[in-house]
Amino acid sequence: SGNDAPESETTGSTWRYAHEEFEGDVQDVYAHKFKEYIEANSNHSIQIFRFGELGESDDIMEQTQAGILQFVNQSPGFTGSLIPEAQIFFIPYLMPVADEDVVRFFRTSVAINDMFTELYAEQGLELLSMYPEGEMVVTADTPVRSPEDFRGKNIRTMTNPLLAETYRAFGATPTPLPWGEVYGALQTNIIQGQENPIFWIQSGGLYEVSPNLIFTGHGWFTTAMMANQSFYQGLPGEDQQLIRDAAAHAFNYITEYIPGLGDRMLERILEAKPDVTVTRLSEEEQQTFRDRAPQVEQRFIEMTGERGARLLEQFKQDLDKVMQD
Amino acid sequence: MSKKKEKPGLSGIPGRIDRWMNHIEAFILSTSVLLMVVNTVANVIGRFFFGESLFFSEEVNRILIVMITFAGIGYAARHGRHIRMSAFYDILPVRARRILMVCIASFTSLIMLFLAYFSVGYIASVYNTGRVLPTMGFPLYFIYLWVPLGFTITAIQYALTALKNAVSKKAYLAVNVEDGYEDME
Amino acid sequence: MATIMLTTMIVLLLLGFPMMIPLIVGAIIGFYITFDGFSQMNILIQQLMGGIRPTALIAVPMFIFAAEIMTRGHSAERLVNMVMAFIGHIKGGLAVSTAASCTLFGAVSGSTQATVVAVGSPLRPRMLEAGYKDSFTLALIINSSDIAFLIPPSIGMILYGIISGTSIGELFIAGIGPGLLILLLFSIYCVIYAIIKKVPTEPRSTWKERAIAVKEALWPLGFPVIIVGGIYGGIFSPTEAAAVCVLYAIILEFLIFRVLFIPDLFKIAKSTGLITAVVFILVAVGNGFSWILSFAHIPQNLLATIGINEAGPYTVMFAIAVAFFIACMFVDPIVVILILTPIFAPAVANAGLDPVLVGVLITLMVAIGSATPPFGCDIFTAIAIFKRPYWEVIKGTPPFIAILISAGVLITLFPQIALFLRDMAFR
Ligand code: NA
Ligand code: NA
Repeated sequence: SGNDAPESETTGSTWRYAHEEFEGDVQDVYAHKFKEYIEANSNHSIQIFRFGELGESDDIMEQTQAGILQFVNQSPGFTGSLIPEAQIFFIPYLMPVADEDVVRFFRTSVAINDMFTELYAEQGLELLSMYPEGEMVVTADTPVRSPEDFRGKNIRTMTNPLLAETYRAFGATPTPLPWGEVYGALQTNIIQGQENPIFWIQSGGLYEVSPNLIFTGHGWFTTAMMANQSFYQGLPGEDQQLIRDAAAHAFNYITEYIPGLGDRMLERILEAKPDVTVTRLSEEEQQTFRDRAPQVEQRFIEMTGERGARLLEQFKQDLDKVMQD
Repeated sequence: MSKKKEKPGLSGIPGRIDRWMNHIEAFILSTSVLLMVVNTVANVIGRFFFGESLFFSEEVNRILIVMITFAGIGYAARHGRHIRMSAFYDILPVRARRILMVCIASFTSLIMLFLAYFSVGYIASVYNTGRVLPTMGFPLYFIYLWVPLGFTITAIQYALTALKNAVSKKAYLAVNVEDGYEDME
Repeated sequence: MATIMLTTMIVLLLLGFPMMIPLIVGAIIGFYITFDGFSQMNILIQQLMGGIRPTALIAVPMFIFAAEIMTRGHSAERLVNMVMAFIGHIKGGLAVSTAASCTLFGAVSGSTQATVVAVGSPLRPRMLEAGYKDSFTLALIINSSDIAFLIPPSIGMILYGIISGTSIGELFIAGIGPGLLILLLFSIYCVIYAIIKKVPTEPRSTWKERAIAVKEALWPLGFPVIIVGGIYGGIFSPTEAAAVCVLYAIILEFLIFRVLFIPDLFKIAKSTGLITAVVFILVAVGNGFSWILSFAHIPQNLLATIGINEAGPYTVMFAIAVAFFIACMFVDPIVVILILTPIFAPAVANAGLDPVLVGVLITLMVAIGSATPPFGCDIFTAIAIFKRPYWEVIKGTPPFIAILISAGVLITLFPQIALFLRDMAFR
């Protein structure tokens, strides 16, 4: 499979780039920074497609593998069917909580920068960057401080066995639902809660129908941007460098954009609906949830075998290193 | 009018094969629908009485909906039930209708074959990525196996319709269905 | 490219090709031009599959199945008898009840196709019996089902809210006013129609007859309870409510009334499968068709040429109305909202329009476009289930479309129709 982008020395090419989010969301911000850099520093141009414009997450991934899209942004959670190891991001308490630590983690992690690059390459994809979108925040019908508080609550999760395991470990009843049904299901109390980064809770209006925000510190929503590998490798060296630089430019922008984004969004939520409650788990409260992580790790290793175990080991080492510095 | 009364359908061995195919398709179609009902109801009961949704439920329905659609298009072609805008066609005399129907059915048949061919290609590409259904873990290409089959059966039905119209005096919507909008089952 | 695709489609459509052919041939031409050959046809197949992937679609065969059991058994007839006992003597009463049932059922089930089947199957024969023309009946069922787009919970509004960053709660409330206004206008048209066409009324039932009718309908009244109570009460999602209806219908007709038997179950499943397939293959090919338009940036290019981003508020509203209306004549509403909303976003912001008002207008246009020929899932569903020719199903549509369009004009001129309830609740 080649690429169908028209090539010409003088006029440059048009490259197509698809991501999974809506206008103004983190992936869209990243995409526009990438586009901005490419277009400012070359004759090439980038056409961005948002969620649904070319299909769902799996569709744009296949289209990238087929070479008709040059770039795609897909979150590892959705890549699970292609690269089972990518589900590692669903294991709770594998990542730091503080914004600066997270940024440092993504910059220095061997697991992310080396091991994942190889995993993606096996699927014909050139991993250009992995970046955090926001801390996962739970919203529920009542504040939650302990696994006991989760008991009997249906918490919506994506259709993913590992994520379900996490919520089962937390004491809740995981309930898979497609994204489009979440708002309605919260409103009618079919589910009593869900998890998402705070900017999605804000833009999706979920706080209107699920007004108790709980910062559990259990994970970050992570995403990955990549290129079709044969397209990338077929480019002249200067264009490859251009793409690397553009990805670095966008990544750097995001590392400044993300810290504080959660707070800004939270402010907006509280402005719109002052009776929203915010619960931040203390260190001891977090520990009661953290104690339940091993059963999820176990499940992850069952699903991914030796390679998964090695990846998990490396993740923990990377985390230790960041927390020591 | 012809002297012998013209009958819809095929005769001889092809006719027998065709009737068997009809039964098989009908069986697959109704079984898939019933399975979908059982699966969805079981999921409600699970969530309601045991506080636990069936995790594979959504994926099973995804498989079934592909089966229903693609087992159904062949069956619908056989029974002349595909939706069409027949306003212009309906005002034509029988002879013109027959000729037009030969064109419509043979062109449709070609397009269906075209899609069957490329859906094999699609299945091959999904097979090559090794993707699986996230919950049940079995290969994703599996759920699409019905697609080329459904297109091929539809293509055959339309080819037969074209033939039937070419050799008959009346116009036929499908091999077994004479033109007209009486209730059909 | 768009011109070639469209011309070919219209010609094939008019010649009487099966409806999937114009859409698929249009898409194939688009792929051929865009990718300079057949090298990317795999993606067309991918998008056909993507069209029938959404989980919400499962509610459609479920409701078809339940409705088929109810109409072949006794449930549907008893329910309709009860309604008739109360409104049979009023001019246009049956038509108004049909419209209201469609709107309510569509609003809760979230599926306009399911509504056409579930409400249309039992009520259409009764309306024909009562002397309404079939074309009027079919158009009434299709168009009142589509009002449900405006009444919460509405999938279209949720999507619009997420994409445009508008409060979904406000959108929901703002949709109710226009939804009820249209239902009122439809009802007036029904009464006028009944008077002009001299549709006979039944003699007024005595209270004793009414009591008997209610008693007969006691078991079947469980259906509206499951659907309306179950969904609004937060017990079931629409798909689950559909499944529970199937279970309940089986219990009623097979065990309590004992009018259906196991072989019937297979027959009903078969016809459910057939109707589902005929409609879903069109959903699938429609998805493939819209994908290639989106990939080739055709809507963007078209709107850029008319300079939409610098236009004033009324021009933008008008352009939105026309674009969504025309797009929904051909393509599934969900897909249209996903593709067009972001394209119009800068123009809406620039013109300083209230995004809630725009959301209501878009949802209304989506509803009108879906009921407007040539393409429309509700039209297809009606053809498939009632086995009527295309022409007859769409013949009665124009007066309804006219009413809907005047409602759109009214909302544009008097935004308070939509914003009044919103302002009461939120401001
Ligand atoms: Na609705
Ligand atoms: Na339409």
